[in-house]
Amino acid sequence: MEESNKDNNNRKQRQTFAKPFLVGSINAIEVTQAREMSRLHTIGRLPARGSKLDVKHNTSSSSTTADTSSTSSTTSTRSITSTGSSSIVSTSTDFTSTSTTPTPTVSVPAKSHQGACTNPQCNCCGQVIIPSPQAVFPIKEEPSISVNDWSIFSVKRPILNSVEIDTLNDTRFEFPLPEMIFGHSLMRIIHEPSGLHIEFNAVDALDSLESDSNLKVSYHEEWLEARKKKKEVKKDLDVLKSYDWTYSPNYKGSTSLAFIPTNDKQIPIDRLLQPDPILFFDECVLYEDELGDNGIGILSTKIRVMPTCLLLLCRFFLRIDGVIFRIRDVRIFIDLETNQVLREYKLQEMAYSEVVKLVTGKTDPKKLFRDSNWVANNILVILVTTEIATV
Amino acid sequence: MDLDTDVPMEDVSDDQQLLPLIGKESVANTTTNAGALVNDKKDLHPSSINQLDEWIEKLSRCEPLLETDVKRLCEMAIDVLQFEENVQPVQVPVTICGDVHGQFHDLMELFKIGGPCPDTNYLFMGDYVDRGYYSVETVSYLVCMKVRFPKRITILRGNHESRQITQVYGFYDECLRKYGSATVWKLFTDLFDYFPITALVDSKIFCLHGGLSPMIETIDQVRDLNRIQEVPHEGPMCDLLWSDPDDRGGWGISPRGAGFTFGQDISEQFNHTNDLSLIARAHQLVMEGYSWSHQESVVTIFSAPNYCYRCGNQAAIMEVDEQHNRQFLQYDPSIRPGEPSVTRKTPDYFL
Repeated sequence: MEESNKDNNNRKQRQTFAKPFLVGSINAIEVTQAREMSRLHTIGRLPARGSKLDVKHNTSSSSTTADTSSTSSTTSTRSITSTGSSSIVSTSTDFTSTSTTPTPTVSVPAKSHQGACTNPQCNCCGQVIIPSPQAVFPIKEEPSISVNDWSIFSVKRPILNSVEIDTLNDTRFEFPLPEMIFGHSLMRIIHEPSGLHIEFNAVDALDSLESDSNLKVSYHEEWLEARKKKKEVKKDLDVLKSYDWTYSPNYKGSTSLAFIPTNDKQIPIDRLLQPDPILFFDECVLYEDELGDNGIGILSTKIRVMPTCLLLLCRFFLRIDGVIFRIRDVRIFIDLETNQVLREYKLQEMAYSEVVKLVTGKTDPKKLFRDSNWVANNILVILVTTEIATV
Repeated sequence: MDLDTDVPMEDVSDDQQLLPLIGKESVANTTTNAGALVNDKKDLHPSSINQLDEWIEKLSRCEPLLETDVKRLCEMAIDVLQFEENVQPVQVPVTICGDVHGQFHDLMELFKIGGPCPDTNYLFMGDYVDRGYYSVETVSYLVCMKVRFPKRITILRGNHESRQITQVYGFYDECLRKYGSATVWKLFTDLFDYFPITALVDSKIFCLHGGLSPMIETIDQVRDLNRIQEVPHEGPMCDLLWSDPDDRGGWGISPRGAGFTFGQDISEQFNHTNDLSLIARAHQLVMEGYSWSHQESVVTIFSAPNYCYRCGNQAAIMEVDEQHNRQFLQYDPSIRPGEPSVTRKTPDYFL
């Protein structure tokens, strides 16, 4: 990130050090270093059981349908993961059978994509390029993909402006809204033949809040006591109309799919641990509030689409400093071949003081406390339910 | 998920002991209510001017100063800031700016839009650090400018200019990452105690980071505060840096259990009592970069475009000319060629 944020001054400075004939060219050493960095980076993100990538990449690579107008080629391509992971030691081969699955039908943009698409497929690996290669402002990203009968749309736009917020407050919400609402951003999955869909968006999530919250910031008592003692405060001090200021949603997505509870089905972790090529990966924040600098409440979604399945995670992460951690996860798993849809809903919560005890060694606890993955792996699980839907 | 809820801190060395949250008591018993002292301050020595110009030149390339230089800079800055008043008087014309939050390149854009300092006078209303990736460069640059041109630029304290908040929202970690120790963080947070907390533009526009306090009815009451301390959890100094205007009248307590909101009646009464035309404050993100409240008796100014590198908001600054005419200048983030406007996420096999 810092690397890429050089301004013109910086560039000018660098040029004064470069020999004239080298200006504009790229040093071979830099390229090698960049590749090495990228390799190390990729390894760190691969699943622990990663293996046999070179066997898989030819059979599972994407091809485009005839009707797509995108620039991507239809030739068989290498998986992005295969280039950087040759050093991973094979530990098991029990899932190599999936490499014989039929090649999925892939289309970029999605079959029902409206308007121009600025997120093409990579010619090299078949992955949809996100963010778009061209910077635009105001931010507008609308990448999409179809795999077999399913289309996936992700829309990223700026936060709502004050007129839009006023309209929401006048028509739909009586409480103060989070300071960052990405009200036009969404993540949407559609089964094209039936039109059945599931979508995650900020406004519907905000509709699911409780009417109140019993949580207060850590120094609440101290603050209130000090106020009461002060004689200067003669004015009426009312607590504003109560609302859930933590913005903790009870939201499992906006959907037309008919989900029914199931006890014997679970999201198949083994399939998600397979290093299948990722055709489409995106994440977007739906809303975020800094809780008056007392922590963070953030609702965000993340999706990865592989040739035979997809996983969407919609996570609410709450940290009130000195008070509590809370996670509310919705996971959508879709088998793109059998059209089976699984939805897992998981609630986690733990007192801040208890979480502090989990930190061992010299690790900076505040660093861990910002990492929702670490928190999710370490705090108590209160509830997990799974539902199933078939189209 | 790997969301940028804060700055990435992957290279913070783990053997750094986290400093305890110190509720630092007042650093010195200096009372700084004497405006007369401002005139007593000796002029900068030519060698200091050269030194400062070198630092500014280096910082404008977004390169942080050496730790030893930060130490010297902070010493020089204390010499300047300790003599400023709790309510620092500022003359028109002046350009008033809100939160910057470590977005260094956007700060450079701000000076392009508003005109270079010292040709243009500037008043910043706090929150220079945290959130963005360049808090060190941003605050170093602004402090250098303050020492170099003390009459041309005013830098107020925001609620993020505090020991406690910077340990949670990024500045502390950035200092560790860039300097390998917490020394620079300590130097800056000690310096923050000297920043003035409010400013008064030509006796008419009251400028501060947060908002009003139920314990402050007149500007003179602000002058009586002892500001040279860590931002307290309660009391008038806390309110001035934290409170927000609200549509509802009167004083409100936030449902969070701490912090005030103030209504239009409060703002109008305060402006009337103190013969003010406007309260200018920062502290809250607004999509358009500025926002009027309370029938134009309060304005919120936010100067960090595309806040946290993903909000897509505009930034704004407010120019006030000799006749007290106000003009807002809005601007977009400084997109550098070939860079996407949203953060690039490397695909990962999340579960």
